[in-house]
Amino acid sequence: MPGVTAAETERDEPSAAAPPGESRWRRYVPWGLGILLLLAMLGLQSQLYVGQERTVSAIFMFVALAQGWNLIGGFTGYACFGQVVFFGLGGYTTAVAMTHWGMNFWPMLLISGVVAALFGALIGLPLLRLKGHYFAIATLGVAEGMREVVTNLTDLTGGGSGITIPTVGEEATTTYLGNDGFYLLFLGLAAFSVLVGGLVSRNKFGFALRAINQDEEAAGSMGINTTRAKVAAFSLSGFVTGLVGATYAFQQAVIFPERLFDVDITVLMVVMVVIGGSGTVLGPLLGAVVLQFLSEYLRQNFTSAHTFILGAIIIVAVVLLPQGAVNYVREARRTGNYSLLANVRRYRL
Amino acid sequence: MSAALLETRGLGRRFGGLQAVSDVSFSVPAGQVLGVIGPNGAGKSTFINLVTGHIKPTTGKVLIDGKDMTGARPWAIAHAGVARTFQIVKPFRGMTVRENVAVGVLYGPSDQNRMSTALTRADEVLEEVGIAHLGARPPGELSVADARRLEFAKALSLNPKLLLLDEVMAGLRHSEIEPSLELIRSLKERGLAVIVVEHVMKAILAVSDQVLVFHQGEVLTSGDSRTVLSDPRVIEAYLGQRYAKRREGGGDA
Amino acid sequence: MARDQVNSFLQATVYGLLQGGLLALIAVGFSLVWGVMNVVNLAHGAFVILGAYVGWELNTKLGWDPFLAMFVAAAVLFVLGYVLQRWLINLVINGPIFITLLLTFGLDLLIVQGMNIAFSGNYRSIHTSYASTGLDLGSIRVPVGRLLAFGVAVLLTIALVLLVTRTRIGTSIMATGMDRGAARLMGIRARHVYALTFGIAAALAAVAGTMVGTVGTFNPASAGAYTLLSFVIAVLGGLGNMYGALVGGLVIGLVEAWAGLYLPGTWVNALAFLVLVLVLIVRPSGLVGRAYYAARVEV
Repeated sequence: MPGVTAAETERDEPSAAAPPGESRWRRYVPWGLGILLLLAMLGLQSQLYVGQERTVSAIFMFVALAQGWNLIGGFTGYACFGQVVFFGLGGYTTAVAMTHWGMNFWPMLLISGVVAALFGALIGLPLLRLKGHYFAIATLGVAEGMREVVTNLTDLTGGGSGITIPTVGEEATTTYLGNDGFYLLFLGLAAFSVLVGGLVSRNKFGFALRAINQDEEAAGSMGINTTRAKVAAFSLSGFVTGLVGATYAFQQAVIFPERLFDVDITVLMVVMVVIGGSGTVLGPLLGAVVLQFLSEYLRQNFTSAHTFILGAIIIVAVVLLPQGAVNYVREARRTGNYSLLANVRRYRL
Repeated sequence: MSAALLETRGLGRRFGGLQAVSDVSFSVPAGQVLGVIGPNGAGKSTFINLVTGHIKPTTGKVLIDGKDMTGARPWAIAHAGVARTFQIVKPFRGMTVRENVAVGVLYGPSDQNRMSTALTRADEVLEEVGIAHLGARPPGELSVADARRLEFAKALSLNPKLLLLDEVMAGLRHSEIEPSLELIRSLKERGLAVIVVEHVMKAILAVSDQVLVFHQGEVLTSGDSRTVLSDPRVIEAYLGQRYAKRREGGGDA
Repeated sequence: MARDQVNSFLQATVYGLLQGGLLALIAVGFSLVWGVMNVVNLAHGAFVILGAYVGWELNTKLGWDPFLAMFVAAAVLFVLGYVLQRWLINLVINGPIFITLLLTFGLDLLIVQGMNIAFSGNYRSIHTSYASTGLDLGSIRVPVGRLLAFGVAVLLTIALVLLVTRTRIGTSIMATGMDRGAARLMGIRARHVYALTFGIAAALAAVAGTMVGTVGTFNPASAGAYTLLSFVIAVLGGLGNMYGALVGGLVIGLVEAWAGLYLPGTWVNALAFLVLVLVLIVRPSGLVGRAYYAARVEV
């Protein structure tokens, strides 16, 4: 009996394959829910203590990061393990401009995103020719290399000792946003990233990315300019990540290369997307929220062992739900098979 | 000289020490079906890949509709009006059959931008190949014959002027071959040029206007099907004496 | 003046070669696993350090010489590696690559933090009476410990090559690496073969770790650097290519030693990454691997 094993099928968001009448309803519900969620988060702010506000801001930050990674890693299927390079590039562009050239934060926010996007296009052209592990490691190499470069350009970036953005006094170019301000800004970035993800997912471009993900050779034969699409996706993901990096740099005010180019940030992004469900819009959102909560909870209650437990959780999650929570639920509802045990067998040898 | 849709001149490809395809020159005009036969490893698939831009030639030229498209990328070739099927079918496994075909409508020469229009057009193409009823299924659930039809439909979604079919009949039952032949005939009538790479001689005989024989990367001979299939060199290199005797005895097996 | 420069250069070259041999041993298991099973083991560096700790424990608690302790370390890590592959990594190996990457990353977190908890983050080293003495060849000083470690590294690489090419087990590893489906059809138990391969890689890493501990210092945080170095060397040498790993290790050892002479400290690392990226772009099959119909595991 013919039939491909479930292992090979990567279930993605359904495109408008349903008849027009029905799809209108299904189309607008997610946007509506998204707006409600946004309003809820705005309202939440007044209910939170300072510490909680910072925690939630961090969650928003990771939502945006996860959504950004999802564009290249989830939709297109090119697992970038150097995504933090955009984060650091955005952060340092803003920091250097604000500290040495007296620039205001707001234009720099946009410019940092653009710089990161351009960098993405630049390295994307040679690197996106690589596949699988090669691409993952090449991007990792770029990120690590960039960290070293930044560490060495001491005059510009302060090198290993870091750079401090002036936030008070005469030298400060922009009023420091404070906890409340950053909460809103990160929320805005999170909303923006979800918007971008949603738009890409539902339009012609996203369709091309998914085709490339599922069979790049066939996609090329059918008229998709795979080079252009991949580079565009990579640039876009770099743009989103760069915006977040710029905001983070301003928030922290004191930044170091080890932090802004920390490989653990990339890994967190990847874990969030994979556990939540790669290639979906809801997945990265869910994954970011859950994992950040978990990470914060562990950090506060098991300070010494929290990384250990995090590692164990990652292992368990990856084994039980390799396709991510959202994809698992969608498939289970479609096939009626909710067995986790069967899910574990999905990818086993 | 009638305008050839596809013309190759001295086309060749080398892999390290192996000359996989060597000095292939021929042309196919519109409304003609060219059969391509030859033993395995003779270079037929490499040849197709050279035409469709999946591999770059080391020598020679590929001209499509008179325009030099040597070494062009596969999407440029698709936009020039050339479509192909893959020997081992390559559907987009995460999409429905209908969406698979819609990709070509959206990104091929018709460059459709509206999803709904693309899906409607996809349904039309599926109707043409006979699997419209399977539109909502995932490709993984299709039988071999239907999966081949999906490959066909994906190629047709590009509104091609030239169609390259890479062993579409392999493994099909006799009852499944005839509809495919019908389809090829109807495409020919519409003015497409079709190149059919096959091992199933019955199919080659049934639809080809000309036949090209590949052997060890080179064109051994070419001509109309009956002549070529009776050529002693072709029998020696590929068909075998038993087949030749069977044909002499009558009927076309 | 010139004489000093020549001397420094020669000294750096010797040092680079010796270090390179050790780096090769660190990387060869990583390359084998990647070549055979397409698994990039992000916890590889952690295995190295774990091996170092086993050696260190035996050395401090029982007074064992590291060149003896390395056998025990190899055995321990072999079992650990076998178990991990057989009953954990095999569970996800058919999925997209970032699943396996995440799994090994989680393992890395687990093992490194486990070591932090068990042994603390202090730098350790394995003491011997002879390792820091030096042989003097002319004006070049060759530390005995490093020379011995180099010898072990080269011997083990050759042993690995022999294992893979001359034994039945080795052939089944190569076969499974080239075409798992075909290998299984011929009666090879792929799950077991994969586990063996991973076990062997872990054992080699453990020996390398003990060597690392003998010639220098280590702590849990050093694990990451060794994983990254293994990447670079494996890519340089060609995945699954044993001699390639040796060549790659020597190249990196030399590049780092020479760069250390002429460039300010931190540019050396940037250089290594640049090399990595360039190799991936220009010649992904590595310096030694074959470009076209390359098998995944080769000698």
